[in-house]
Order: sequence, then C-alpha cells, then structure tokens
Amino acid sequence: MAFSLTSETVNGIAKFTLVGELDAAAAGSFREAVEQAAASRPKRVVLIMDALTYMASAGLRTLVFAKQKMGANVDIYVIGVQEAVRETIEMTGFNHSVIMLDTYDAAEIENV
Amino acid sequence: MKPIIVPGTLASLSLIRDYARTAAAEAGLDKKRTYRLELAVDEIATNIVNHGYQEAGLTGDVVARATITVCALTITLEDTAVPFDPRRLTRPEQIDLPLAERPIGGLGVFLAIENVDEFRYEHVDDHNRNIFVVNRTAA
Repeated sequence: MAFSLTSETVNGIAKFTLVGELDAAAAGSFREAVEQAAASRPKRVVLIMDALTYMASAGLRTLVFAKQKMGANVDIYVIGVQEAVRETIEMTGFNHSVIMLDTYDAAEIENV
Repeated sequence: MKPIIVPGTLASLSLIRDYARTAAAEAGLDKKRTYRLELAVDEIATNIVNHGYQEAGLTGDVVARATITVCALTITLEDTAVPFDPRRLTRPEQIDLPLAERPIGGLGVFLAIENVDEFRYEHVDDHNRNIFVVNRTAA
C-alpha cells in the first residue's frame, strides 16, 4: 500500500498521521513534512501510526531526524503503532527516544 | 516461483516487497515471519539502490528469485552494482556503536540479518548476491 501522510499543527502540537508503507522511497516526504512543521517550533510532536502497516529503517531515521530537528525538549509521541512496526522500533532501541501509547491520550498529550 | 527483474531504483522497493510477500504466502509463512522477511529483503534492496547504484553513479537492475523447498524459503537478490558485502557493516567494532550512529546502511543490515534465519552474501561473475533463508517449520 502506498504511503501517505497528513499533518497539522494546533496549539503548539504538530500532529502527523502516517498511512501505508514507510520505506526508503516514502521517507523523503515524511522528512519534508517534519521540516515544514519544525519551522513553527512546536512544543510537542505526535505521530499517529495505527494505519501504518510497514516501516523500514528509513522511517526510523526520520524519527531520529525529527528528534534532532524539533529539539531535545520536544517529546515525540507515537500512537497506536502496529505490532510488527513496534517490534522494529524496540529491536533497534528507538523506543527509548519516543513515548509510545496505544491510544491518543488527550489529557497527557495536550497538556503542554 | 518465477524471478522478477526490476530497475535498481527506489520505486522498485514495493515491487520487491510484494514479491517477497507472495513467496512467503506460497511457503506458508505466518504473518510475523512474512513481515520480517519483507523487512530484511527491503533493507538490503534499499542499500543496493542507494549505495550500490545511485551513489556510485551506476544504473542497473535487481533480480529477485524465490526458491521453496520442504525445509525453507530462500530469496536471492542479485545486482551488478558496486561489489558490497553487507556483513562488513556488522563487524564487532560497529556492533558496539549506538544504532543511530552506525555507518550509513548499517541499521538496515542489522534489521536484515536479525529478521531471517540465515543471511549469506556471495560475489559471483561481477554480481552481488544477497541470500535470505527462512525455515518453513516454526523455529
């Protein structure tokens, strides 16, 4: 399934919804979206991943890029990640760089 | 299964993954092992495209070939890009590096090797051959 993403920044929270397969061919568009969102200096980043069916190392590297671009003080939330994608994130230790939640917890996430 | 021949470009990655998925279904692999095989093949294919061809200023194809025996599914990726043994990126001095700091392509190679039962590399007649083996019986 092809990759698509939507993004919006509201009240200082940059939210990205990722759909489909995030491979090396698709990572460029994700990276561009991160750069655009970083320009408004969000306080928090939220990645909605429940419809992301596949993620390669290129996707992981974009998470690292997002962390670097947004700044060390900006938490990155990863929401609803599918089991196989979660396994890749945990196998590579990237789960230590993001906050993984099963569902969107508005109380926690929007309390910036 | 008949092999596929695709251009060595990023646009071919999804075709290669589709091929791996089809082979896995034919071999009766479960969902988890199918995903892991797909990831392994995709990671090496990505390195072939980016480092083997593009960065070296070369163009060429990637041939994906699946063989199913009673014991295992084997997928081979073959290319004519720069000779490159992915196992060079898994030397002990690199294993200790945090994953995000490994040489370019190292993270992908790590994921490839970790997600199949056996990974081999051969260089034959100017062709790189990356070989992925998944056992058909539950491991």
